[in-house]
Amino acid sequence: MEENNNKVYKDERYGKYREMLYYYNEDGNFEKKVEFHGEPDRVILQQAWDFFNERKEEARQKVLSGKASPIAYHMEKDLLDPMNLGMAAGIKIWNVKRHLKPGPFKRLSEKTLQKYADAFNITIEELKKVE
Amino acid sequence: MAIKDIVIDYKHRQAGHCESGATSNLFNFYGLDLSEPMAFGTGCGIYFSYLPFLKLMFAPMMSFRNFPNTVFHRSMKYLGVDATVIKKFNDKKESMDALDRNLEKGIPTGVQVGVFNLTFFPPEYRQHYNMHNMVIFGKEGNNYHVSDTVMEDPQILSYEDLARVRWAKGAFAPKGKMYWINNIPTEIDYRSAANQGMHKSVYEMIKVPFWLIGIKGMRVMARDIRKWPKKHGNEKASFYLGQILRMAEDFGTGGAGFRYIYGAFLKESGEKFNNDEMLKAADLMGKTANRWRDFTYIGARNCKNRAKPEEDYGMLGDMMMEIAEGEFKVFKMLDKITI
Repeated sequence: MEENNNKVYKDERYGKYREMLYYYNEDGNFEKKVEFHGEPDRVILQQAWDFFNERKEEARQKVLSGKASPIAYHMEKDLLDPMNLGMAAGIKIWNVKRHLKPGPFKRLSEKTLQKYADAFNITIEELKKVE
Repeated sequence: MAIKDIVIDYKHRQAGHCESGATSNLFNFYGLDLSEPMAFGTGCGIYFSYLPFLKLMFAPMMSFRNFPNTVFHRSMKYLGVDATVIKKFNDKKESMDALDRNLEKGIPTGVQVGVFNLTFFPPEYRQHYNMHNMVIFGKEGNNYHVSDTVMEDPQILSYEDLARVRWAKGAFAPKGKMYWINNIPTEIDYRSAANQGMHKSVYEMIKVPFWLIGIKGMRVMARDIRKWPKKHGNEKASFYLGQILRMAEDFGTGGAGFRYIYGAFLKESGEKFNNDEMLKAADLMGKTANRWRDFTYIGARNCKNRAKPEEDYGMLGDMMMEIAEGEFKVFKMLDKITI
């Protein structure tokens, strides 16, 4: 496999796969090439991941300072918003929004906690703390 | 239910777009030739919709392709092939058993999946996107053989992982959808299929009476791009712009939001059915697609330097408007052609 020297991605795991891309050249032919994405494509993808990581870090700080429940952190880690989390866990959106606060989170039953844990694919113990 | 090990002799070929690649590979499995652009064109893959009131990954939703499974369904309908699509199952077990039964009969089966938990997928693409397609062509013990056209080689996926991605939650949830080809007639009318597919696409791009779909939607988006920096600030404007570019360039589109693949379809059918008008349209489509790529290059500079945009958003809006007019011309031309 070709050496991948383009250092736009900050995560080491990124940019290891080649894809098929189409081109239209000056002779009027459509060409297919299997290759890595160019720099502009990497910049825009890295931008999205920067944004997600910022949100994740912000949520982690909030949880550690006691302003939000761990669900807020896990939600940002899995790139979800309250609506999609509600769909994944089978809980109404207004309840999800309430459970993002530390007080209502403490009063949650085992059954509801299990629903969230299944949605995030982790155990209840992992759900109660942040990394 | 335990079935014995089975691997179907299925040829994996990499492709630009997941669903038309899967359709073309499935078709080729039965010994007839259908290239990826032909599958994309006859199945009306090209589309545009801009839905700013819905948010996908925290930015306005837009789509450059048709709804999931349209490409397979329509191309099979127009080509007159006997195919089955099961839209949804009641539970996980039932859907996996149905897949096993198909593999036992020796039928490679396409499934719709969500990519977030797909273990072999490139990690930079693992976001919540539920419209990915791949073909299952074998089972050994607890593992399935998977042909994913985004990847260079066939992959292996365990039973639990496959069940999980087939039942991904969220917008456009797959609900275990699967599809396969039953049998193919000996004589196939490619000409009428390409004609039908092309005219359906023309309808969807320029004739739908709704202002957010097709070329009309592109014009609305061009106007919105100009407003973004004032309305949301530079940071958010560049993230929203990035969303357009990501949907157009990354996520397995073959580049320029499928416009290259569609141009290749026009060129191939123009040569196949000796139609000069269509070759002209293909040339124009290729040039418009190159403008899309320029748009990405310029837009990416804005995304690199988020707080201080290097290029003015008004200029990008003008460029988008120009692209919309270019595509409008192509579809106007196609409207008058009958092959």
